[in-house]
Amino acid sequence: MQIQTTAEDQRIAWLAALAITIHILESAFPSPLPGIKPGLANVITIVVLVQFGWRSAAWVSLLRVLCGSLLLGTFLTPTFLLSLGGAVCSIAILWLACRLPGRGFGPVGFSLLAALAHMTGQFTIAWLLFIPHPALWRLFPVLLTAALLFGTVGGIIAGGISNRQRQCST
Amino acid sequence: MPQPALPQLHPLLRTLTLGLVCLLAACNRAGDPVYRDQFFAFGTLIDLTFHGVDTPRAEQASRALEQTFRQMHSDWHAWQPGALQQANAGLAEHGQASVDPAMAALIQEANRLSTLSNGLFNPVIGRLVALWGFHNDEPPQGPPPAADRIRQLVEQVPASTDVRVDDGQIHSRNPAVRYDLGAFAKGYAIDRGIEQLKELGILHAIINAGGDLRAIGRHGNRPWRIGIRDPRKPGVLASIEPAGDESVFTSGDYERFYEHEGRRYHHIIDPRSGYPAGATVSATVIHPVAATADAAATALFVAGPDAWPAIARQMGVKYVMLVDREGRIHLNPAMQARLKFESEPEAIVMSEAL
Amino acid sequence: MMTRADRVLMAIVLCALPLLYLHIWTDQEPATMLRMQVADMDATVTPLTPDRHVQLAGPIGESIIEIRAGQARFLDSPCPGKVCVHSGWLREAGQLAACLPNRISIQLLGSRPRFDAINF
Repeated sequence: MQIQTTAEDQRIAWLAALAITIHILESAFPSPLPGIKPGLANVITIVVLVQFGWRSAAWVSLLRVLCGSLLLGTFLTPTFLLSLGGAVCSIAILWLACRLPGRGFGPVGFSLLAALAHMTGQFTIAWLLFIPHPALWRLFPVLLTAALLFGTVGGIIAGGISNRQRQCST
Repeated sequence: MPQPALPQLHPLLRTLTLGLVCLLAACNRAGDPVYRDQFFAFGTLIDLTFHGVDTPRAEQASRALEQTFRQMHSDWHAWQPGALQQANAGLAEHGQASVDPAMAALIQEANRLSTLSNGLFNPVIGRLVALWGFHNDEPPQGPPPAADRIRQLVEQVPASTDVRVDDGQIHSRNPAVRYDLGAFAKGYAIDRGIEQLKELGILHAIINAGGDLRAIGRHGNRPWRIGIRDPRKPGVLASIEPAGDESVFTSGDYERFYEHEGRRYHHIIDPRSGYPAGATVSATVIHPVAATADAAATALFVAGPDAWPAIARQMGVKYVMLVDREGRIHLNPAMQARLKFESEPEAIVMSEAL
Repeated sequence: MMTRADRVLMAIVLCALPLLYLHIWTDQEPATMLRMQVADMDATVTPLTPDRHVQLAGPIGESIIEIRAGQARFLDSPCPGKVCVHSGWLREAGQLAACLPNRISIQLLGSRPRFDAINF
């Protein structure tokens, strides 16, 4: 039996594979503070969003979380739930952000929104499911600051990649 | 020629910044429209908190409330000359006494709640409380009373069901009945105080009488926030936000007690044994009516960690927290949903839904 | 490389983040003032700095209030039971202690107390 794949399917598969690789590489580095990661895999999502649209970006993002967790052995563990919550939130906010009329957001705006949404989603799940302690909220602004930093840097990188790609393809 | 992006953006940014600065200022404005006052009555400190009431009106209400509380206190005092003492003297001599309508209403309500609590809240064990030495502003020094004197009083089984109230008269068929409305009068008085505040048009207030309180309305745009003190160490155990109009009452063994030869004797006497109830450290009850919350906190304290759910159901109490001698926290599910613990409790025992 | 929407978003986030810090981290403002009341007299409100002792004359004698490091307590009181002294330091805005026999109450005040009332 053969599954018919379209060019888009293959593209998504390639990009997801790339994102998963980064995701796994990133998880190998210890994090200075729980919950804070540079989120380099997020860069791929933004590049895909800018170049191929929201649908592809959503696929890449969800495949990354799913396959990444299977490969790392964290599938259905708390880590997976946190990561899934973050991904779903950032995809949702990107869907809204794509609908902004006019020239809309650039890679930096998308990346920033995605990072903030990712952090908020992850934090909410952590708070609801694992540590429903009011003191946890004290961490929230710190985490969002990290998200602001890494989101912006990620967005600048994503913008750089997108521009170069566009130059290559023309 | 395309306009440069930055100058175009400036007015927008300026408005935005201005708006945020105003917001900041609003968040940070010093003080909030809260009026506080305190006075001494019912042998304790009455702490008033009003929100959104201008100062002259608040002061007036506070004075009026102070008068009401003083009056109720002297009328219903358990061991100082007053209406209640006269009634007790009448019961002792003739088995009956005449009472004014306010006192009759108070006694009737106490009797009703006592019956609902299977007598665990017992307002007619005045002689037992006096024997233990708690008819005094200062806790006694010990030693505890002799066992046979306690047994003697317990065997007479004074119960509120022995008392009939009609037509300005109370009749008792049990010569051992003596009213001690101690804590209960405090809850009942808080209810009268809240009624008075509502009549004065004050709709956002807390009356806190020595740690037992009723809160109405809100603190501006948020609910009132009540901290429940930890019965065994300094600081707050959990907090709760009263919804609209609710009373939070706690009976604890730390409120009035003395220690004799390393044992603690506190003021919450189990009417069945004649001794301070032993299994509970504190019982906290939330109920709309302060008098009910007051009687229930006492009754559930006496009932202890096993029997409290049945009594709570009978008394129509929906939210209970009980801390036992081992430090375990007993809760019903609805109470857990409302409590915010300051730190995760070590041991929670969940009851069935009430 | 940033669009206008990017810039506006960035501005909003940069402004909102300090507000969030302010909101979440100042939930519990330290107490700044001490309210002291003797019997039916008007209350006096005094700042919690500098560290010092305050003598208050009540109906049965003199109670001493100790103010130190933004906290306050009954250091001594002429009452027999010393319940007020045993109740220890008041640390948070809204907390209060009282000497009933000497009819003196003290309470920490702050602009944003964590609790409006304490149940016990």
